[in-house]
Amino acid sequence: MNKGNITTDYPLTNAQRNKLGCLLDVLIPASQDGHMPSAGDLDLIAYLQAKAMDFLPSLIALLDGLDEDFTTVNFDERYQAVKILSNDEPGLFQALIYQAYAVYYQSPAVLEGIGAAAGAPFPRGNTIESGDLSLLDAVLATPKQYRKAPS
Amino acid sequence: MSEANLNEPVDVLIIGAGASGAAVAWSLADTRMRIVCLEQGDWMKPSEYPTNGTDWEIQQHGPFNIDPNIRQRDTDYPINNDESPINVVNFNGVGGGTVLYAAHFPRLHPSDFKVKSLDGVADDWPISYDTLDPYFNQNDRMMGVSGLAGDPMYPPKQPPLPPIPMGLVGEKLASGYNKLGWHWWPSDSAIITRPYEGRDKCLNLGPCTSGCSQGAKSSTDITYWPQAIRAGVELRTRCRVREITLAENGMAEGVIYYDEHGNECHQKAEVVVMACNGVGTPRILLNSKSSKFPDGLANSSGLLGKNLMFHPVAFSQGVFEERLDSHKGPQGCCILSKEFYETDLSRGFVRGYNMQITRGTGPFNTAIQGYASGQIPWGPDHHKAFQRRFDHVASVAVLCEDLPELHNTVTLDPELVDSDGIPAAKINYTLSENSKKMLKHGVDRAEQVLAAAGAVEISSAELVQSAGWHLLGTARMGADPNTSVVNSWGRSHDVKNLFIVDGSIFVTAGGLNPTSTIQALALYIADTMKKNLANLFD
Repeated sequence: MNKGNITTDYPLTNAQRNKLGCLLDVLIPASQDGHMPSAGDLDLIAYLQAKAMDFLPSLIALLDGLDEDFTTVNFDERYQAVKILSNDEPGLFQALIYQAYAVYYQSPAVLEGIGAAAGAPFPRGNTIESGDLSLLDAVLATPKQYRKAPS
Repeated sequence: MSEANLNEPVDVLIIGAGASGAAVAWSLADTRMRIVCLEQGDWMKPSEYPTNGTDWEIQQHGPFNIDPNIRQRDTDYPINNDESPINVVNFNGVGGGTVLYAAHFPRLHPSDFKVKSLDGVADDWPISYDTLDPYFNQNDRMMGVSGLAGDPMYPPKQPPLPPIPMGLVGEKLASGYNKLGWHWWPSDSAIITRPYEGRDKCLNLGPCTSGCSQGAKSSTDITYWPQAIRAGVELRTRCRVREITLAENGMAEGVIYYDEHGNECHQKAEVVVMACNGVGTPRILLNSKSSKFPDGLANSSGLLGKNLMFHPVAFSQGVFEERLDSHKGPQGCCILSKEFYETDLSRGFVRGYNMQITRGTGPFNTAIQGYASGQIPWGPDHHKAFQRRFDHVASVAVLCEDLPELHNTVTLDPELVDSDGIPAAKINYTLSENSKKMLKHGVDRAEQVLAAAGAVEISSAELVQSAGWHLLGTARMGADPNTSVVNSWGRSHDVKNLFIVDGSIFVTAGGLNPTSTIQALALYIADTMKKNLANLFD
């Protein structure tokens, strides 16, 4: 989450913002080797404002439903709280996962971390192995043939 | 209707600008007749296809979804799938389904045209593979088809372009097939692998089913249509046909349609050609009622909208230890197997299926599908589970032949309508016992080949719901007017100036993607019309 980019039209209070950061850190934590960022390191709110404004009220309601101590308890306790949330609000939680994954797996840092190229596929394109067509020798060595039919 | 909305009569009116409409328009253009095509959708802009942006995977869930009920463009019409385990998927626009198809381009086999003679089921087609062979070849050249000659499961044929790369996915699965001694072959694909006819070659972007930004995938908006339009065909977009009107002499008079502003218009024509696919065509004809045809136009047989065939699809996915670069390359096209394509009654079912190796998905879809299936959790284990799957999967789609059954139907929904108030299509479809056994057999064999190829984890779905691409059989062809809707060259038995050229006229479905055969049929019908112009209505 972009913690230094709070503007007058930022839709969350500080308390909500802190809860969101902790919540996203639970959904996709940073990898232990530091190779992959946490989902909380990315700016979900900016993404929602650009692409999915309709989800913001639901997200705010979801954050307000989390206990006030959600940001101060340890990771395991937060994880349990999110588990409960996923059971109690499955539709809302699923929508949160969708948006969190959407912003996460478009991040250049994430894409580079998983070995995929960042940015739009076009016009960059991809290179793939042509494959070994001599593997077909085994097919051609069999007597199989298409089934004849009357004209 | 105002005078202004009465268009000048034309010689040929084609309804639908998709796979078959484009082919028939191009072929008929050399007659120099006045030809107009009405298409309810828009021209597509490759610069607006999802792979131009970083959110390309997200758009597949919205405006570029293959399901019109999810996509909900104003150019789409709703489809009631409540009574079907398979949802209809399509696209409405210039190019039709070819805009979003995977571009698998196999031909039906010779045996597919004669299943009654060979296997005692369903009916034979009134034409054969040999009838269509020259049109298959013509269509391959027009579309730009890649493949490898020499497949022993086909009569000799020569695709104009070399095959698409198998990649590590194809190589891995090919080794599995070889271990089992099963047939496989590089897929015939309507994707150009070299510069061809002014189009540039495939860049291996991946998601062909959300439109090809490169223009390497052969959709008819960039193959047939530019040539047809240069030859004088007029294509009008955002024109949605409501019904075909009948003249007093029992011939089709023309159509009533809504233009882009919702104005009701009338277009008269000497010949009307339906090219709206196996759902759209019966929908319009069923909505074209008159005192002579109270059950829908050209429906004296009572078969219009009946015998709907899909290709039921099962899906198995294997996870491999090695990285396979799965998200790169044409997602749906790689290699395929016909090992279980023909009837072997010892398997417990008649007819058969093909197995198509497909590549993996992009990062977002890998994560979100993994979440839905429980294979990639959120939380501390997310990264490990994600990395185990992303770029490490190969899949087998089992595409089964569906046999015609009268109770599988397209009808008009009594309540649901499109944005112009035209009744929507309602699907009633039941999976047959034969298909269920075939799907089960296919899943077992798919898992077997994935294991032989070295998959360390395999999961399967015995029926994919959103796989109703292939819409066939709802206005079948045949010699007998009592048991078919059109004759052996697509002309209505009842209305002599009404032709159908799309997948509706399939007698049986085969077990392969039908676009190549649909287009060959359209070219054959157009050619037959041209040869019979002097006595077209006799």
